[in-house]
Amino acid sequence: MSIQIQNVSRAFGTFQALKDISIDIESGELIALLGPSGSGKTTLLRILAGLEGLDEGAILFDGQNITNVSPKERGVGFVFQHYALFRHMTVFDNVAYGLKVRPRKTRPSKDEINKKVRDLLALVKLDNFADRYPAQLSGGQRQRVALARALAVEPKVLLLDEPFGALDAKVRKELRRWLRKLHNEFHVTSIFVTHDQEEALDVANRIIVMNNGKIEQVGTPEEVYEHPNSPFVYDFLGNVNLFRGRLHKGKLTQGQFEIDVPTYLDSHYEVVGYVRPHDIQIEKNQLNNESVAAKIVHIHMVGPVVQIELKREDVDEYLEAEIPKEHYKKLGIKNGDTVFIKPKQLKVFVPEDFSI
Amino acid sequence: MELTLKKRKKNTIIPGFTMTLGYTMLYLSIIVLLPLSMVFFNTFSMSWSEFWQTIAHPRAVASYKLSFGTALAAGVINVIFGTIIAWVLVRYQFPGKRIVDGLVDLPFALPTAVAGIALATLYSPNGWVGQFFDFKIAFTPLGIIIALTFIGLPFVVRTVQPVLQNLGSEIEEASASLGATRLQTFAKVIIPELLPAIITGFSLAFARSLGEYGSVVFIAGNMPMKTEITPLIIMTKLEQYDYVGATAIATVMLVASFILLLLINIIQWYTNRKFSLQ
Repeated sequence: MSIQIQNVSRAFGTFQALKDISIDIESGELIALLGPSGSGKTTLLRILAGLEGLDEGAILFDGQNITNVSPKERGVGFVFQHYALFRHMTVFDNVAYGLKVRPRKTRPSKDEINKKVRDLLALVKLDNFADRYPAQLSGGQRQRVALARALAVEPKVLLLDEPFGALDAKVRKELRRWLRKLHNEFHVTSIFVTHDQEEALDVANRIIVMNNGKIEQVGTPEEVYEHPNSPFVYDFLGNVNLFRGRLHKGKLTQGQFEIDVPTYLDSHYEVVGYVRPHDIQIEKNQLNNESVAAKIVHIHMVGPVVQIELKREDVDEYLEAEIPKEHYKKLGIKNGDTVFIKPKQLKVFVPEDFSI
Repeated sequence: MELTLKKRKKNTIIPGFTMTLGYTMLYLSIIVLLPLSMVFFNTFSMSWSEFWQTIAHPRAVASYKLSFGTALAAGVINVIFGTIIAWVLVRYQFPGKRIVDGLVDLPFALPTAVAGIALATLYSPNGWVGQFFDFKIAFTPLGIIIALTFIGLPFVVRTVQPVLQNLGSEIEEASASLGATRLQTFAKVIIPELLPAIITGFSLAFARSLGEYGSVVFIAGNMPMKTEITPLIIMTKLEQYDYVGATAIATVMLVASFILLLLINIIQWYTNRKFSLQ
């Protein structure tokens, strides 16, 4: 089902949680609402579910205005961060709940409910846990019950509020993969809230980056990661190094240090260049004034990528670089060495839109 | 035996198991078991036939029925209205909420005789409230139920309130998003979650009502066979220096209360089972 969010605003007292939000979501998309806490992402999700009212604007499901429709009638499945399972019911009864509370006319027969619940429990790999109570399950298992429970009512939209937030790293990864698989099988329009950029980049087809109640950027994971349209998005989607300086005739200068930025031809004082850690090149010798001296503070060497923390020698700033292990071995550098670093790729944001 | 004790010592992280258990046993023995055993001990000075005659006396039997019946009725009333009060105090904000919250505890603090006199005055046939009713309230079992409801109210409110507070709104939202009506959410989700607390509140209020004397004697009218509660029979026997007879009746009360509370505890255990790991 497609969703249109039109000019939605919502305030809690004096706090403006959402400011004039508009997005179109197509049927079958898997969307991540990404943002720091307090950015309004959970509020937006709850408004979609009808659990929260809105001050202005409208929500359309398949072109129909459902702004004033109760959560009960919206046909959405909602998965809570802390599962919100019914503790006094078995896993089976939890999953069957949505079917059992239907009015008699639309309620499936007992056998149908039975079959459906068994199928769903098989889908979430909890077939053997039907008679357990939530208290007897692990966090990951509970979240899977919550998912099965939401899916039992065959929702047209699946909304997940930080679904993996309370789980440990390994279970999280597993459930992420599982959610994507599930989405590929069912094609139900799904929106999940997260503050974990890796999760968003990994799972979603499209990411909506939110900050301060506004949408910063909407795009595919590649688009938002490779072409962030604001310093905020750049900073929020992964680690970043800042190079402050002056922009003049396609060069960013900072003292002796100069970086070529041929795409920026206008002149500005005080701009900030953004460089991802893996876009920083490390050399042992200075070639020209396009590189700058820095001292290695810490080397973190787990996995195929070596993370190096550096302190610049000209200004009091720290940098972070990531280089492949082989390259690191070839360089033969160690803690305390002075090396020369050069940004390979740099994105410049001009004054009026940098806010960090 | 020694081995198992040693084993337990090794396995537990929480210190002081033997000490605290020993203290618990000693404390319970002195405070609860010793006085109660005196009741039985005193009763043993009677012969079986004397004992049976005392406890099976029609006046005594009528009083058992009255005491347990009214305590049960008051407990049920308190469960319904106590839960509603707890609900209101937790869920809604209104001016004077703290005062209402404080009012709930008043039956705890008020001397029961004062409560009894006040209630008797209000509900007597020409009292402020009693005059509006065609039937008698004070000096009937109805009056006893009112007095017992009054003194039992805080138990239910104060046991349900914290549980309701911790319940949170998420499970209600989950229920609503799964298509349940408000009534279904209340009946199938909220009430079962509250049930263990409600049962505890009920058993506390019930136990308190069984032994209540002060507030009841004023409103009951104390007519033998009709509105005479068991604690009053015990008092009357004591006043006539019939200590053995008094303890015999007390034994019946004690055993019956113990069995009832044990039953409630079993139900409690059964409903609680789901909420804990095995």
